Amino acid sequence: MSLNNQLLIAINSVAGRSWLFDNVVAFFRDNDLAKAGVIGCCFLAAWYGGKGANQTARRKILLTTMVAAVFVTGTTKVLSHTIFLPRPEIQSQKIYQLEGDQLVEMGRIPVRVPLDEESQKNYHALLSGDVETNDLGSFPSDHAGFFLVISLGIWLASRRLGWLALGWTVFVILAAKMISAQHTPLDIATGALVAVAELAAFRYAAAREWFDALLDRVSQLTLRHSALSSAFIFAVAFEMSSTLVHVREFLGLLGAVRRHVLGG
Amino acid sequence: MKRAALTIIAITLFAQLSCHMQKHSLVLMTDDSYRPRIIATSKTGFGSPDGLLWRNGSIYIADEGSDVMECWSPTSGLKELADSHFGFLSPEDLVMDADGNIFFTDDDAGGVWTIDSRGSPRLLAGKEKGLISTEGIALAPDGSILVGDGEQHEVFRVTRDGAVSEYLGKQYGITKPESMVFDDRGNLYIADNADDVLYLLDGKHELHRIIERRDSFSPETIFFSKGALYITDSHHGKLFMYRPNEELKTIAAFAGELKNVQGITTDDAGNIYVGVQTDLKRRLGDIIEISKERG
Repeated sequence: MSLNNQLLIAINSVAGRSWLFDNVVAFFRDNDLAKAGVIGCCFLAAWYGGKGANQTARRKILLTTMVAAVFVTGTTKVLSHTIFLPRPEIQSQKIYQLEGDQLVEMGRIPVRVPLDEESQKNYHALLSGDVETNDLGSFPSDHAGFFLVISLGIWLASRRLGWLALGWTVFVILAAKMISAQHTPLDIATGALVAVAELAAFRYAAAREWFDALLDRVSQLTLRHSALSSAFIFAVAFEMSSTLVHVREFLGLLGAVRRHVLGG
Repeated sequence: MKRAALTIIAITLFAQLSCHMQKHSLVLMTDDSYRPRIIATSKTGFGSPDGLLWRNGSIYIADEGSDVMECWSPTSGLKELADSHFGFLSPEDLVMDADGNIFFTDDDAGGVWTIDSRGSPRLLAGKEKGLISTEGIALAPDGSILVGDGEQHEVFRVTRDGAVSEYLGKQYGITKPESMVFDDRGNLYIADNADDVLYLLDGKHELHRIIERRDSFSPETIFFSKGALYITDSHHGKLFMYRPNEELKTIAAFAGELKNVQGITTDDAGNIYVGVQTDLKRRLGDIIEISKERG
């Protein structure tokens, strides 16, 4: 068994033993306020914190972070369509993957099922073949990519808030994903790598004169039009806190319109 | 360093814009005693199979993708039996009698079509006799052919000389008799994939709703063999087995390109064959054998 699977099994071994523990983990895994709300709060605090030049500098970093987050989300999506690794919970069953013209049996991972209601419901649905066919793969973790790039951006803007956001992302959001066997450590590590690489790339690019001037101009605009920029940042924090679910729904609607109206 | 950063951004942008979003395809065996195997693909010559029928080592295919009727076996390959020059448009489902005569439906051209045991195709009863959009087909014990019509919401009886009469009228409430099959006791099972109901018409001509209002159940094609009814569900990508007085059992779930499971048949050894329309527009499909694990 690979090191990745061994690590997953070790982390997942705490699941399925205590009803209370599993429900607490499930709460932080599924509840948007408990999960992502904290990151959204840190982002807002970093955005409005600081004074004068320090505030402008923070906003420039956070604006870069927002652009990087869009790219990170896109990159993890592209990777998930290029390299396919089934979710560990699905891989606990007997599955066959289409490779060329052959169905190849995949190795099974003996994961433990948490005792919370949602996990149990999903597990029983899986046993009867009710799988979400749009969400079969787990590689890489889009949660890891998205929340880590935001948390790292917050960390660059404000160390205290950044440590809180990073700690919450790693020890609450991502740990819950692995304990529940929704992601393997490899999924998380790859998502993290994408986040670090792309944020670093954008930070270096931001050091270019024209990019820095652009960010400076936008930051000044957010200060000058504080009411409008507050509304915009509210929408950004709201989407962060709801794990982009509304943006995804909107994109889904656009896709459906393209298919049904334009016949694409 | 700046150059490296810009390169990463450029590559990311390029990858995101140029990546072809492909579907990942899986078969999840909810019954561990079975294993799936692709035995034929479109590369062998067929398009997108709809109805399937195993007989004497060969699989007869109502090929909806290529608008032909075909016969395939691992030893002799693919053989075309009839194509759309004879007037049919979209072969849907098929049955074969003991003499080797094939009867099939067509949901676009309508009617009941036949290919006799010598290989001659002809229209047995067409639209002018009221068969507008034919779907399910079953051989009645008296030798007549029962045909479901999806637009008229009725089941018709067609005799061997082409006479058409109503068998189950609109008053029975079957919206789309997509597939039909007799069991070994003379009961007729009817799959309605518009209302997501599995019906049973008993020997007294009474219609029963056996499975209805069930999540993730929409019967596409049904096939009866050795006391069990096998059911495909193209909406949810599932293969079920149903035995009277037992719970509906899921054998396998299909995802990605393999989700659109259509026709189903079994051989004498109990192996199940499922037709998959991986891409109807591009005329692509597979035939998957689902057999019991050895040992």
